[in-house]
Amino acid sequence: MTTHLPSADTLESFHKDLDEIRDDIMAKVGQEDANYIRKIVRIQRGMDLVGRLTMVAGFYHWIFWVIGVVMLGCAKILNNMEVGHNVMHGQYDWMNDPHLNSREFDWDAVADGNSWRRTHNFEHHTYTNIIGKDRDFGYDTLRLSDDVPWKDHYRFQPIRLIVLMLMFEWAVAYHELFGERIFIGKRHKEGKLPISHAQLIKDFFTKIRLAVFRDYIFFPAVVGLFLGWPMFFAILGGNFVANLIRNLWANIIIFCGHFTEEVHTFNEEECVNESRGQWYYRQILGSSNIEGSKVMHIMSGHLSRQIEHHLFPDMPSYRYMEAAERVRQVCAKHNIPYNTGTLWDQYKTVVARVIKYSRPPKKTGEVANA
Amino acid sequence: MSQAETSVQSGSFFSKAHEWVAQSLTQQNKISAYLEPLIQMAVPGWTTEAIRSKVIQVRPETNDVYTLVIRPGKRWKGFTAGQHLQITAEQNGTLQTRFFSVSSAPAHFRKTGLIEMSIRVQEGGRVTPWLREAFAAGGICNLTPAEGDFVLPAGNDPVLMIAGGSGITPFRSMLSQMAATGDKRDAHLMFYVRDEANALFKEEFEKIAAQHENIRVTFMNSAEKGVFSAEHIQEVCPDFAERKVMICGPTPMIQLVRGVVSEQGVSAENIMFEYFGAAPIELDRADAKDAYVNFEKGGVAAMSSAENPVSLLELAEQNGLKPLAGCRVGVCHQCKCTKKSGVVLNTLTGQYSDTGREDIQLCVSVPVNDVVLDV
Ligand code: FES
Repeated sequence: MTTHLPSADTLESFHKDLDEIRDDIMAKVGQEDANYIRKIVRIQRGMDLVGRLTMVAGFYHWIFWVIGVVMLGCAKILNNMEVGHNVMHGQYDWMNDPHLNSREFDWDAVADGNSWRRTHNFEHHTYTNIIGKDRDFGYDTLRLSDDVPWKDHYRFQPIRLIVLMLMFEWAVAYHELFGERIFIGKRHKEGKLPISHAQLIKDFFTKIRLAVFRDYIFFPAVVGLFLGWPMFFAILGGNFVANLIRNLWANIIIFCGHFTEEVHTFNEEECVNESRGQWYYRQILGSSNIEGSKVMHIMSGHLSRQIEHHLFPDMPSYRYMEAAERVRQVCAKHNIPYNTGTLWDQYKTVVARVIKYSRPPKKTGEVANA
Repeated sequence: MSQAETSVQSGSFFSKAHEWVAQSLTQQNKISAYLEPLIQMAVPGWTTEAIRSKVIQVRPETNDVYTLVIRPGKRWKGFTAGQHLQITAEQNGTLQTRFFSVSSAPAHFRKTGLIEMSIRVQEGGRVTPWLREAFAAGGICNLTPAEGDFVLPAGNDPVLMIAGGSGITPFRSMLSQMAATGDKRDAHLMFYVRDEANALFKEEFEKIAAQHENIRVTFMNSAEKGVFSAEHIQEVCPDFAERKVMICGPTPMIQLVRGVVSEQGVSAENIMFEYFGAAPIELDRADAKDAYVNFEKGGVAAMSSAENPVSLLELAEQNGLKPLAGCRVGVCHQCKCTKKSGVVLNTLTGQYSDTGREDIQLCVSVPVNDVVLDV
């Protein structure tokens, strides 16, 4: 799919309009944003602690177990998305808070934060939707565009989608190692990464050990010690389900951000010597938004404002809602498509896209020898 | 000996175990860091990093100097006269941190539980003018333990103290401590002030000098006498060669005084000095506007010319360093590092940074004046 570019003049004035939005909003960033993220962190910590305790009360009645699991799942979602993703992007670095710092923060997931920062912040945000460069596009396992050459195994990608959903945190953890072909296939040469392969593998396992110890050893064991084996397994299972809830939700939100029907892809040549306006344009075409309630926006880490996040990756997430209103107007003014819809509508098109590209391309010549 | 060693080892084993468990359970280095936001609901401003303290009063000294009177929290251990500490306060969501010397005596702290910090309002500064307004009615700040070795030398050697402007603060602490404890060491203070109106703590010093014959204070009015010179010490303190010389003041003043006293034969080990903030980078520059960038960890100081400035990332690379970087255009934040001091221009937003410690992106930052980086 080659993208038709608007005229240079349009791009130039588009670029100016967007910069103006960014400058206006960034000038307002301050106490309000700090209070907001601290509040979210407090809610997240509270839900984490209360959720884990409520799960233990499942000893008296199973309903508490269910409530506890859901709370813990939500705490993990908040931790990963509204806090983790955004803090690790550096959106709150200006607060100088050592615990909300992009270089220090790590999240409640099996994926090592540093590894994610490398693949996501750099690759994905710089080379958004450039086939072959942005490996977040399809996560190396899904074919979501005709620009990705056909292979037979893509027939099964609807099943892969389901597996990816359930194991999302593990996929993110393994993402960078996969790119280097560490365990499967022929290992890539050292040196492309800022760290050695040995270090990469070490960090990978360290983080997994930390996460597994907490959810599948420590908390089940502490509770099991007092309340017996059944509760050991109840807590272990509860933590497992909470992780599953988070995986499902995160995966759905993220897929709605980049793999909906209308989202464009790009090839490398299109993007050499790209102007800032062109870069903005690519970010807009390569992302899609979700409409919904305030709670949905917060639970999505404001990735429901994926377009704005891609335009201004280090703007505090708290400001994406107001940025979105203005970006939308600017897009309308310049006749640039702005892709948004409800969660349900957007996700339907994601599933449709996964199914569509799980069929071999028709040989119309255009893509056959891509 | 062996006992001490085992205790150190077991201590580090436990702290390592605590850190590992904390990382696992909370993804923080300390469990308390995880609880910090919850604790703050009950105790606003509480942090794991520093000691929560109360500003009791802001006392004006001159037009542009004020004193913060602070009651440090219980965990604060006290200090030696001349030491400094970091104070942190939240300004519009940002935790701002600055170094200041304590200007009151340790004896005063023991008696009242209070310390004082005297601060000059920096022109165009973001923090010093704001602190005065923000704490006018008192408030909460965070302090680090006192540190620094700009203190009276051990033994009883006579000292010559040379202060410029608000560089007087550590000397005020030392002299009032000497007065309070009846220290008999011979001390002579030469205090350079812009003019009469800026003679900080004048009455106080005159009183101390009048009551203690081992303490002498000479006010040097720069408006009349000009800047420090060899004639000045020969005239005011002819026995300076037998003294330890302690200097504190603005950077050019320290450089000037150091040069003059060493020319006059005072050996380097008898000269002590303390800069406000980071020490300047002492290298020649072709143009006064050229800036030096000190990459501390790499041990390299590199010059950045004012005429065609390059980003800090390029500068580091030109000088053989390999800081972590990715996109090189300010998107990915991989090149984030800590700037300890100095002003940089963010080429993406066109904004100038503050002078103090903060995180910056190397790839879109251009040095404006001398910059010290933790790279
Ligand atoms: S290298 Fe990506 S932000 Fe500096």
